[in-house]
Amino acid sequence: MYLNRISMVCALTGRAEVIRVMLKDQGAEFDEKVITMEMWKESTLKASCLFGQLPIFEDGDLTLYQTNAIRRHLARKLGLYGKDQREAALIDMMDEAIQDLLNKYVKLMFEKDDSGKEGYLKALPTDLKPFEKTLSGDKGSFLVGDKVHSLIFSNYHQRRQLAYTVHGGRGKGLGVVLDLDFSCTHALFLSLADLLSRLRPGDPADPPPSPQPPLPACLPLPPELPEEAVCPTQPACLLS
Amino acid sequence: MGPYTITYFGVRGRCGAMRIMMADQGQEWKEILIDFADWTKGDLKASCVFGQLPKFEDGGLVLYQSNAILRHLGRNHDAYGKDGKEAALIDMMCDGVEDLRLKYVKMIYQEYDTGKDQYIKDLPNHLDKFEAVMAKNKTGFLVGNKPSFADYGLFEVLLNHLVLCSSCLDTSPSLKSFVEKMSARPKIKAFLSSDAYKKLPINGNGKQ
Repeated sequence: MYLNRISMVCALTGRAEVIRVMLKDQGAEFDEKVITMEMWKESTLKASCLFGQLPIFEDGDLTLYQTNAIRRHLARKLGLYGKDQREAALIDMMDEAIQDLLNKYVKLMFEKDDSGKEGYLKALPTDLKPFEKTLSGDKGSFLVGDKVHSLIFSNYHQRRQLAYTVHGGRGKGLGVVLDLDFSCTHALFLSLADLLSRLRPGDPADPPPSPQPPLPACLPLPPELPEEAVCPTQPACLLS
Repeated sequence: MGPYTITYFGVRGRCGAMRIMMADQGQEWKEILIDFADWTKGDLKASCVFGQLPKFEDGGLVLYQSNAILRHLGRNHDAYGKDGKEAALIDMMCDGVEDLRLKYVKMIYQEYDTGKDQYIKDLPNHLDKFEAVMAKNKTGFLVGNKPSFADYGLFEVLLNHLVLCSSCLDTSPSLKSFVEKMSARPKIKAFLSSDAYKKLPINGNGKQ
């Protein structure tokens, strides 16, 4: 299906990343204009955005805001919304839950201190369990049906962010061991990490070593990962 | 499609919009109201995929997550736009309504006494986005020329805000007209006057 040339205006990573991954995976061409915090503060762009937020997404003459609306639009165009209405409803349901967890994660990231992290990590196995349960129960290895769906990218992106956070500079010796019953989430994580590394050669699935140029606050990467984090048999988030 | 069943607490809460939508679409549904004390005992909670209500049944299909339910009803009742472009715009408006709902819920449950006045003061800054879209579309709906699930969501959220502050739409003529017209739709009017609607508080903590 022909997909119009898409242009996207967004901050460096954060909520736009999942859209990029989707587009690249599906081989859709798109332009990208990156807006830094300084540009955002200085320009009149914010006033021109419907909800005063980025990303802005253009598909031909259609202008969209709200990352979830953009993802759904792409899912429709790219055939990533299930094979029928029932699957679409189940995808929506899983996606809303992933968004709940993502919002929780974002809230944690933007807190002024680290006091919320312990509680977040403690709750994480319970938060991840529904996805693990669904993945292990399904015939295939995706959350709904047998095709990669848009929400899978959201799931992956979030796991990747979690892996960086859990393992990185925000604190050593976290002492969190996720229940080993997360083998299915783990498998999905690895398969998508592999997919991403193939899509973006030269851009490793793990964060590069320090020193790094300053990054926007929305995705703080640790300056250095311990050796275990790059072990191919275990994702960072499962290490104690 | 159907039969429809909602399992939820005895509040309007996150089922407000879907009830109004089903009423307007001439649908009947069964209500299973859950006492909070029973909920905390855990059996039902453990059976819910994300440990949350509402739970919605459409025949054999069981759904959770209120916005997923609204979208499903949108598909069932031709309330999801006439094409992909309208669908995308409806999704966008629904997400905007959700953002407003989250702010409202945060104020109600966490900051009512300390934050209510400021919330009301800030409200025009949030409502003016919807006012602009409504005014531009000229049909009396957010997108297209008939109500979508985003319209039901917005309508319900605005009804709640009018309880919070009865003058909050005075500077938003298109939204005010929207609320009046939606309230006057015969099936919505009947539902809003019903005991089933009136007996339920908006929120679980009694604040509004």
